[in-house]
Amino acid sequence: MSFKVTRRKFLQTASLAAATLPLAKVVSAETGFVRDPFTPPGSFAGTQTVTGGVCEMCFWRCQLVGKVRDKKLVKLEGNPKSIDNGKSICARGNAGIKLLYDPDRLKFPLKNIGERGKPVWKQISWQEALDECGARLKAVQEKYGSHSIAMFPHGASAKYPMDFFEKVVGTHNVSEASFFQCRGIRDSAYMATFSVPPDESVDMANAKAILLIGCHFGENVHVSHVKAYLKGLENGARLVVVDPRYSASAAKSHIWVQIKPGTDTAFLLAVMNYLVTKDKYDKNFVKAHCVGFAEFKQGIAHASLDWAAKICDVPAQQIQEVAELLAANAPNVSIHPGRHVSWHGNDFQRVRAQACLTALLGAVGVKGGFVKPKGVKVKGISWPGSEHGGEYNLRLLADKHHYAPPGTPTELIRDACISGKPYPIKGCVVWGQNPIQTIPNPQKTIAALQQMDFVMCVDIMPTDITMYADILLPEPCYLEKYDFIKTGTQWNFADKHQQYIAPRMPLVDAMFERRDGVWIMNEIARRMGHGDKIPVNSVEEKVNKELAAVNLSIDQLKKEDGIHIQDGKDPYGVEEDFEVLLYNEDLEDNGYPAVPTYIAVDDAPKGFARLVYGRAPVHTFNRSQNNVWLHHAMPVNPLWLNDEIAREMGLQDGDEIELVNSEGVKSSSKTVVKVTPGIRKDTVYMAHGYGSRNPLLTLGFHAGADDQELITRLAIDPETGCNGMRNNFVKIVKDGKALDIPA
Amino acid sequence: MQYGMIIDLDRCVGCHACTIACKAEWDVPADKERNWVRRLGPANTPEGLASTYYPGLCNHCNEPSCVPVCPADAIEKTFTDGKTGQTKTMEVAATYKDPFNGTVQIDQDRCLGCGACADACPYGARYVNTDIKNEEIGGEGIADKCTYCMPRVAKGLEPSCVQTCLANARIFGDLDDPNSEVARYVKKGAKGLTSAAVNIRPNSRYYGNRKDMHLLTTTSTPTEMPAASLRRSLMARLKPELRKVKNLGLLGLAGAVLVAGSDEGSNE
Amino acid sequence: MADIFRFLAQAMRYPAAEWFNDDFQSVLLQLLNELHWQEEQEELRLAMARAENFLEDVQIEHTRLFINAIPHVAAAPYASVHYKGDGTLYGAIAEQTKKFYRSKGFTLARENDLPDHLVYELEFLALLAKEDPDGQREFLYSLFTPWFDIFRNKVLREAHHPYYRIVVNLIDFFTREEL
Repeated sequence: MSFKVTRRKFLQTASLAAATLPLAKVVSAETGFVRDPFTPPGSFAGTQTVTGGVCEMCFWRCQLVGKVRDKKLVKLEGNPKSIDNGKSICARGNAGIKLLYDPDRLKFPLKNIGERGKPVWKQISWQEALDECGARLKAVQEKYGSHSIAMFPHGASAKYPMDFFEKVVGTHNVSEASFFQCRGIRDSAYMATFSVPPDESVDMANAKAILLIGCHFGENVHVSHVKAYLKGLENGARLVVVDPRYSASAAKSHIWVQIKPGTDTAFLLAVMNYLVTKDKYDKNFVKAHCVGFAEFKQGIAHASLDWAAKICDVPAQQIQEVAELLAANAPNVSIHPGRHVSWHGNDFQRVRAQACLTALLGAVGVKGGFVKPKGVKVKGISWPGSEHGGEYNLRLLADKHHYAPPGTPTELIRDACISGKPYPIKGCVVWGQNPIQTIPNPQKTIAALQQMDFVMCVDIMPTDITMYADILLPEPCYLEKYDFIKTGTQWNFADKHQQYIAPRMPLVDAMFERRDGVWIMNEIARRMGHGDKIPVNSVEEKVNKELAAVNLSIDQLKKEDGIHIQDGKDPYGVEEDFEVLLYNEDLEDNGYPAVPTYIAVDDAPKGFARLVYGRAPVHTFNRSQNNVWLHHAMPVNPLWLNDEIAREMGLQDGDEIELVNSEGVKSSSKTVVKVTPGIRKDTVYMAHGYGSRNPLLTLGFHAGADDQELITRLAIDPETGCNGMRNNFVKIVKDGKALDIPA
Repeated sequence: MQYGMIIDLDRCVGCHACTIACKAEWDVPADKERNWVRRLGPANTPEGLASTYYPGLCNHCNEPSCVPVCPADAIEKTFTDGKTGQTKTMEVAATYKDPFNGTVQIDQDRCLGCGACADACPYGARYVNTDIKNEEIGGEGIADKCTYCMPRVAKGLEPSCVQTCLANARIFGDLDDPNSEVARYVKKGAKGLTSAAVNIRPNSRYYGNRKDMHLLTTTSTPTEMPAASLRRSLMARLKPELRKVKNLGLLGLAGAVLVAGSDEGSNE
Repeated sequence: MADIFRFLAQAMRYPAAEWFNDDFQSVLLQLLNELHWQEEQEELRLAMARAENFLEDVQIEHTRLFINAIPHVAAAPYASVHYKGDGTLYGAIAEQTKKFYRSKGFTLARENDLPDHLVYELEFLALLAKEDPDGQREFLYSLFTPWFDIFRNKVLREAHHPYYRIVVNLIDFFTREEL
């Protein structure tokens, strides 16, 4: 029975019986609500405020409250108790409820009884789905070995399953997009220089100068980070933006360096060489903390202003101006380490140069400099680990990419899948990642998937990759479950030092048959014969156990409105033994430059322009394309084209176009041209995360053009094995005709 | 008292949080908007290369062009000053300017959805939501626009867009109070989007550096008042007919339009 | 009528072997026979005869039409996806539907479920059929028919298999009769 009688109904019926009146007559006297005038009540009217939300529209994870009216989540707001995002959330955060109620979302376990890529879906029971996943993964493992299972995880709920496959099953073939197509290079390069991964730990709020290499805040939005950046500007920080495009940040800059893409390292070397030769670096800091200054000095001695000016296509005098500005404001300078840094295949060297420049300016542990916040650690509880040796580690076998971030470079996994060498990879688990759109050259990914014995996907949306699943399992989204514990500090170090702990808690119950990652993984683990190693029985138990280590619990956090706040620690200061490897001998031993070095990238062939991409403030990668509010905010991603070039080509602002790359790959959907003086002549730009090829996304399908499908020339960063994605060149196709771009 | 909103373009990063928060707060249809953010530029200005945003919303004008065109029946409405408790009774149609807080509001339960007000706004700040209608008065939809979140403000909350703005670029308050932050911004030079032809004294104002303000004002200021639309004049002529229809409470608006059509034919 | 609506609600649930059996199918065929829907009866018999696995055929069709599919879910069985709103779940009409249930003294047994699912609306019509014909008429007029018409047209256009074409036409037939 689907309905239950309410109390009101019961009373009504009882009284009717007593009065022996015909039921129908009395009930018909009721007036229907639909005649009431419609006035939207507002999120505050008749709603209950539910605390404990932690956003995952992106991975900054702002703290939320939900306004719930009669079981429906009507609005999300920043948790007023938050010392991170506060009462603010961004466009994507605000649009979370349209993800929650997206009709395209996955609802039930599905089995593909058609082909991979051309699925015919059938709803099946969890029992059947889990049995099949367990049995088929086990079969792959028994036939080809544990290493023959590859995993592509992304997001908070994928961590626990990733640990299962790495630690219990014992495969090295785990590849996270967040590392290999995004920020892994940054972490590795800082590790090789400062011995710590940098995150985005620059104290912009208290800086006197901020240097952004490609960062485009405003188009790229992480709430508390943008707050810190704006606070710095409000406090009078000088802003230098190095970008081929007049980005949202360039528009607020004091100096815009309109650099030729791919040459940033040359720019940084010239700045550093200028500081060194003009004696404008922090001698005390270098003496106290830097290793190999002499070799470093010698290694960058060739990088004159004129040398860089020619390479970077910017005036020598502007490079000097930037160097002077940084020196004048040292040490209170934020040299931003970047976030998505896998651009040209020479990126490790660039990011290392950013770290070295930070050190030369003495901008470590001081106001405005590189400052690691002192947050509280809440240790995650996961599967018991064991060492599996390096015998099947593709990276070690290839003896390449010695500075790879954790996991195995995607490219090596894909190559092994396709060639079967050094060993076959026959099982694939995709958990929250969309490798079709995150990894360049999707045809290769598809070929890798087609040769698998078994492919399973776990996701919340029917993303491109899910079309290749044999079994497709639905997870609750971040608003419907526990999974992650967000920790941190207040964003402005000038404010009282505080730490916070905020576990993600559900704002509404999960609908349909969506089940959380811990439950799914445990059930599959049991079926693979690893039931004895299950560390926790439920995600609530996991979160409670993790919180217990810091004397908290879910119940306690509920009492504290979702966020526990405690006194923090002063993050400023430098440990005496903090060491900066300006010259890194290990790098040299592995065959890489030991001092930051500029490695030239190919120029665009005649008639083509370089395609660069970036963020739209309303989208996170390709994850949010189908959100009805975000879609309407920016329905397409216009292609930025220099106004003089456009005039020569006869293109007008708003013209509908397609693109074709230098390898003949044509975009599968259209976008429009944005004609502007705010981009270099040799470069075109578009926001990433448009033009999905999955027709399951009612709104996202073919809305705008997809930069990713045009990225077929892959550069591999030698130190890390990460993908460089900005070495692709395009022509504009108008009315079916490919036009030369006369850069 | 005159409520007003300042948008500080030096702070705005164009993130759209304000527009989406508004959609959630007021159930605004996905393809309609009570407020908006348009990206401007990068473009050359006499002050240099500029790129900024036009975060627009209802201006709650001192001389609103949307109010006098409303063809709905006038009723007597009593307004109360939130501060002093003083009351004032005025005859108003379905949209009016509040005599105490200076906001322009809509009585949605009396709106016919004719769109005359939306046509009359030079800023395009109003839309007609056709998903909802007052069927008993033959409505075709209901006009909607920014209310400066008066129902939230009445509860002591900030407007939804102001609350969520991560840049603190939206400042809301009483322009008549010289100590308010909004009044201070006006003193510093915050300007409404007005031109020689369009000066209906808007109360949403913009502040920013010279190049951004140049780009904003040259691209986003309306330069003419909307022509009186056919629809609007039709509705105005229909007023007496509509009253009859409403009194009868039976015929829909479509019926009334047919009546008017034949009237018009006989006049010609 | 209550039995008819309950039967139609059942027919729209995900087909499972426990109920989508010979008994159910023969009742459906009998109903078509009673209504003199000869063509439909033939079509269904043919589909059954030709099917290697009739149950699985209908399951696949159900998944494709109502859950997830390529090119996309043809017709999600929720009012707010089709009518008044932006095509997402739990829109204004879903809230109105829930209020209507309540005004008639009912709430969903699983309160977190979406109130405007076709199956629930049919079950609700079955409840009203017994005791509140006026309420039933009002529900059909103001909340059910406006979206069901749109939904039915999508199913008729997108369906590959006769089963759901026939079921939505039956629903249409009986709900129109009631108006």
